[in-house]
Amino acid sequence: MQRMAIIGKYWRKKGDSSRFLLQKVGSCPLFFARLMAAAILLLPVAAVAAPAAEKIVKIAVFPTAPYYIYIVYESLAVFWVAILGLLVIIRMKIREIERVQALGVEKEDQDAPLLK
Amino acid sequence: MNCPRLKEWLEERYDLEGVKRLAKGKLIPEHRYDLWYYTGGITLFLFIVQFLTGMLMALYYVPHIDFAHKSIIEIVTKLNMGWFFRSLHHWGAQLAIVFLFIHLFGTLLLKSYRKPREFVWITGFILLGISIFFGLSGYLLLWDERAFAAVRVATGGAGALPLVGGFIKAFLRGSMDVTGDTLLRFYAFHVAILPILTLGLIGVHILLVQLHGMSVPLSLKAEKQREVPFFPNVFYKDLAVWLTVTGLLVTLAVFLPPEIGMKADPLAPPPENVKPEWYFLFLMQTLKLFPGAILGMNGETIAILLVSGAILFFFLIPFFDSKSARGEKSPLFTWIGVIYLLYFLTMTAVGFFS
Repeated sequence: MQRMAIIGKYWRKKGDSSRFLLQKVGSCPLFFARLMAAAILLLPVAAVAAPAAEKIVKIAVFPTAPYYIYIVYESLAVFWVAILGLLVIIRMKIREIERVQALGVEKEDQDAPLLK
Repeated sequence: MNCPRLKEWLEERYDLEGVKRLAKGKLIPEHRYDLWYYTGGITLFLFIVQFLTGMLMALYYVPHIDFAHKSIIEIVTKLNMGWFFRSLHHWGAQLAIVFLFIHLFGTLLLKSYRKPREFVWITGFILLGISIFFGLSGYLLLWDERAFAAVRVATGGAGALPLVGGFIKAFLRGSMDVTGDTLLRFYAFHVAILPILTLGLIGVHILLVQLHGMSVPLSLKAEKQREVPFFPNVFYKDLAVWLTVTGLLVTLAVFLPPEIGMKADPLAPPPENVKPEWYFLFLMQTLKLFPGAILGMNGETIAILLVSGAILFFFLIPFFDSKSARGEKSPLFTWIGVIYLLYFLTMTAVGFFS
C-alpha cells in the first residue's frame, strides 16, 4: 500500500511538471522555440545511438570501413568478369576440339616419320 | 609453358604417356541425362575447397571453451581476409551438402546404383553421412549459444535410440552434457578423423567409378550411345562447371557471411526458436509429428527408430531393387525415390519457414 502511495505521489508530481511545461510553452513562445531546437538537434544523436546500441551485441562479420567494402565489391565484379572470360575461352576450346574430332584428324599416326 | 627438359626428366622416371593414354582412352557416354555426371565432380571440387579453407582456419582456431569463440572472432575481425575464408568454408560446406543430395537423388532416380555398382552407392552414401557429421562437428566449433543448443539437442536425440543410444550419446559428448570435452572431441573428429575417412572413401569411390565406368540409364540402354573421351572433352566441361561453382561460392561468401552469436553459456536457457542446420530440419519436423508417448512407449524413441529404419532401407536400396539388377525397369523404386525426395523437401521447407 505504502509503495502504491509513493508511485501515486510520483505520478501526481509528474503530472504537475507536465502542466507546468504546457503553461510555460503557452505563455512563452521563445521557450517553445528553444525546446524544439533542442529536440531537433538531439534527433540525429538519438538516431545514431540507437543502432549503435544494437551493434554492441552483433559481431561484425564483414569489413565495416567503406573503402574496404568498396574494394571487396570491386574485386568480386572483376572476379566475375574473369570467370565469364574463362568460360568463353573454354567454350571456344571445346568447339575447336569437337571440330577436330569430327574431321577425324586428332588421332596420332604411330608410323608417321618424326623430324628431329 | 613448355619445359621439354622437365618433361623428359619425368618421362625417364614415370610413364606419363601411359597416364595420358588412360585419360584419352576413358570414354564417357553422351546423352540427355549426362548433366547428372557433373554433380559428383562438383562435390569433389567443393571437398577440395573445404580442405584448403579448413587448413587455413586451423592455423588460428583454439579448441578450448575459453578461447574457441574468441579465436573465431579474431579470425573474422583481425586477420586479413579472415572473414572471407571463414565465409568460404561455411558456404562451401552448405553447397557440398546440397550437391551431395542432388548427386544422391540423381543416382537414385537414374538407378545408377544397380548391379554391378552397389559399392559405388554404399561408399557414396557413407560419404554423405560423414559430410553431415562434418557439418555438425564444425557447427559446434563456433561455440556460440545456437551451436551449443543445437548440438545438445542432436546428441540428445541420438541418445533416444534403444540399446546403443546411451553409448552413442556418451561417445559423442565425452561427458554427461555438452562441455569442453565435447568441443575437443568434435574438433578431433572435424580436423583429423573425418578427413582421413573422407579421403580414403573418396579414393575408393573414384576407383570404383573408374572400374565400372559411367552408368547409362535403363531407358537409354536400347539406344545407340555416343561416347566422348574424358580428356579433353569432359575435362574442359568439368573445368567450366567448377569455375561457375567457384563464382557462386565467392558471391555467397561476400554477400551472406555467416553470423557469430554470443558465446555459449551452459547454464543459460537455450535461445528462442533454435533450429539445427537445414539438412537436419526434416528430422526435427518428423520428431515434432510424433506425440510424447505411443502405447506407453517414448514417442521420440519410436520416431528415431522409424527414421533410422527408413535411412537403412535407403542405404540398402541396391540390394532390394532386384528388377534393376536384372536390367529391367522398376517403377516401384522410382516412386520410392520420388516419395523420399518430396518428403525431404517438404519437411525441410516446413522446418525452415516455421
